[in-house]
Amino acid sequence: MMRAVAVGPPLLGGGVLILGWVALAAALQGGHLVAGPAEVAGWITTNPGLIGRALGATLANAALGFLAGNLVAVALAAVAMIWPRLLNLVSGLALVVFCLPLIATGPILRVLMGPGDGPQIVLAALAVYYTTLIPLLTGLRATPAVWLDLVHSYGRGRWSELIHVRARAALPYLFAGLQIAAPAAFLGAMVGEFTGAERGMGVLTIRFMRALDVPALWAIAALAAAVSMAVYAAIGALARAVLHDRPPVILAPPRVMGGSRPERVMQPILLVAVVLVLWWGAMALPGMNPFFAKSPLDVMAALTTAPQAAATRDTLWTALAETAVFLLPGYLAGLILGAGLAVALVIVPNLSALVMPIAVALRSVPIVTTAPLIVLFLGRGALGTISLVAVMVFFPTLVACLHGLRQAPGQILDVFHTYAAGRLRQMAHVRLPAMLPALFAAARMSVPAAILAVTVVEWLTTGRGLGSLMALSASVSDYNMLWAAVVVVTTISAVCYAGVAAVERRILSIYAPEQVRR
Amino acid sequence: MSSPTLTRRGLLAAATGLAVLPFARRPALAATPVSLQLSWLHSVQFAGSYLAQKNGWWQDAGLDVSLLQGGPNAPVEPPVVSGTALVGISAADYTAAAVAQGANFKIIGVAMQKNPFAIASLADNPVATPADLEGRKIGMALANTPVLQALCTLNDVDFDAIQIVPTQYSAQPLVSGEVDCLLCWETDLPVAMAINGIDARTMLMADHGYAVHSQTYIATEESLRDHRAELVALMSGEARGWDAYRGDTDAAAELTVQMFPDAGLDLPTQKLQAERQVPLMFSDLTDQHGFGWFSDDSVQANIETLALLGREVTPQLWDRSILEEVHG
Repeated sequence: MMRAVAVGPPLLGGGVLILGWVALAAALQGGHLVAGPAEVAGWITTNPGLIGRALGATLANAALGFLAGNLVAVALAAVAMIWPRLLNLVSGLALVVFCLPLIATGPILRVLMGPGDGPQIVLAALAVYYTTLIPLLTGLRATPAVWLDLVHSYGRGRWSELIHVRARAALPYLFAGLQIAAPAAFLGAMVGEFTGAERGMGVLTIRFMRALDVPALWAIAALAAAVSMAVYAAIGALARAVLHDRPPVILAPPRVMGGSRPERVMQPILLVAVVLVLWWGAMALPGMNPFFAKSPLDVMAALTTAPQAAATRDTLWTALAETAVFLLPGYLAGLILGAGLAVALVIVPNLSALVMPIAVALRSVPIVTTAPLIVLFLGRGALGTISLVAVMVFFPTLVACLHGLRQAPGQILDVFHTYAAGRLRQMAHVRLPAMLPALFAAARMSVPAAILAVTVVEWLTTGRGLGSLMALSASVSDYNMLWAAVVVVTTISAVCYAGVAAVERRILSIYAPEQVRR
Repeated sequence: MSSPTLTRRGLLAAATGLAVLPFARRPALAATPVSLQLSWLHSVQFAGSYLAQKNGWWQDAGLDVSLLQGGPNAPVEPPVVSGTALVGISAADYTAAAVAQGANFKIIGVAMQKNPFAIASLADNPVATPADLEGRKIGMALANTPVLQALCTLNDVDFDAIQIVPTQYSAQPLVSGEVDCLLCWETDLPVAMAINGIDARTMLMADHGYAVHSQTYIATEESLRDHRAELVALMSGEARGWDAYRGDTDAAAELTVQMFPDAGLDLPTQKLQAERQVPLMFSDLTDQHGFGWFSDDSVQANIETLALLGREVTPQLWDRSILEEVHG
């Protein structure tokens, strides 16, 4: 299964990427849009101190956030495995926290944590923990039932199950999560600097965008992409060094679906109750002035009993409609692109040296740098916005599906090899079914990611929809509106997530019943 | 790390402190720590504050001032409301909005007498008067639509004849010809274009009736009641700093670049920005009464423009008592 990694293809991929960059810069010369590699290299060599210190600051915050976020994800996953009753509550709470838009959380973190690196680290951690948690929960269940039976027959409990069986089964999924997290942590730390940080790549990005300093802007983008690619490759190398076992055949007895009716009704109610209590508690922390820290009651009042409640609701609906138009096409396009590309890369492995650097670059280059380019090629209309959302969604999907495709059981592939079955046939009968859990994990975690992506695009480029409404509300101190918008964003994410999960249960109960067992 | 450790540097500092203590002018008074929340990233936009800090004018008045940087996701109002910052730098329209939402802010000084909003265009396709806007494409944040509407109302321009293109805050859409003009600040994107050798024109909205105090100093009513001495000390440092700035804008720009080596500031850009800020900040009014001053007339003009922006305010939003003590 393991292919020897040749040095040739990655170099070739990097070369093609740079050649494309040169061609793009030459074609758009004088438009103040793209600076070529030569200009960028020149800028970096004349400003090594400035860019070095900024990179150091952002990298340190991103690394701490990466570490903290992933540790939290691992801890949450372990809790959910040891006490399965908590699974829905843990993943529900994790979803809600991940959905909190940074336009709302950034200023609050700054007030709570004061000047310094705190908000940047927290925002980097928030950007990564969820995309690690979801694949991890999938991986922890990707175990053959007989192995678990073996543990039980020795009279051991869930803890032994977790340590000896589940943790190992989850490793490939953990590596997928870490690879997805690498660019996300860096970008999270950069955006965290928008909350008033003194130094870093995010601070410089804003400065250079306004100064029309295109070489400097592209130098930052190139460094951000290079760092992300290096970390991505390093985690990939680590995964190859650690994962030697061929994926097992996972046979699990099909099971009749999910709990009793009262339990299924109670769980969402419990989740909502816990979220409300936590929200209330957070707003009562010292330093949280009611001017900007709105409690559930404040938001309820703003939407129902306040004099302008009807106008507030109208504004929210309008913004929601504007956002929804881009959301679904962008989400689906990202999923299809990611899964399709993963399949293509397995059928034509040499393609990956070319595609992966571009994929990582697309994900890690800050949107403020690429947005003008996308606007140039695709316009300011729906196509541009949808493409930006698709770009944000497709990367996690691609990585998760690539790892999923590798989970095709070795013995079954051996059977196909014996019959000299071609790659396409292997793909259709073995790899695609093996990929399904990873695809659905990607589909679930992409729901909030797509919503966050669309609000960021709206905030930074198009000026419409919920993202723009939240930014505007914060700037005119309409914190009731801001928090109401946060509730809307979170509710939509949760509902769409539940929808994807329902489809998933249907399909996986046939193809991967171990995933739907409790 | 938490236990106190003896280091050579620490001992030296302690020794110096002990040696200096008997001769210090105010031996018993430790400097009071206060914070000033800036509205944006460090730049010459706040150079008066840097001068006050560098020259020790706040230290002399018994204040230890921290300058908190702003940013695109760092609204000024929350830190001021919560007391993290004693004073924040805002603008009359944002302050009015915050007060409508229940904050008890007062405007205690006005750094930019003239609002810096401008319409920037290229020399070969200039927008010189508000009437020129009709039939043009303007790039701006949709959030600023009320600003453009107010300008149209003030000058009898048909708002519906202007095509708004929502753009990010950059000169690039104008330079590339995607739009005919931009709604931006007089002191940022036009300066960037000038430094890049692009011949741009600006039409200052303040010259066409748009009267909104900008870069205003805001404080809460509680601070005005309980921390008057600190407010007066802070504002007199600001006044001294900005007077020094006016005396030599190049030196102010150099100090700014030197104080913030990590901010990515370019000296020629900062010098040009410093120069272009002067006519916005200093006027006959400030020559007569001192930096930051506002008259009842200018407050009235603000109230009228703010009404066009949908903000109903009273003269009580402004409080001149701190400035009166500073310049009295």
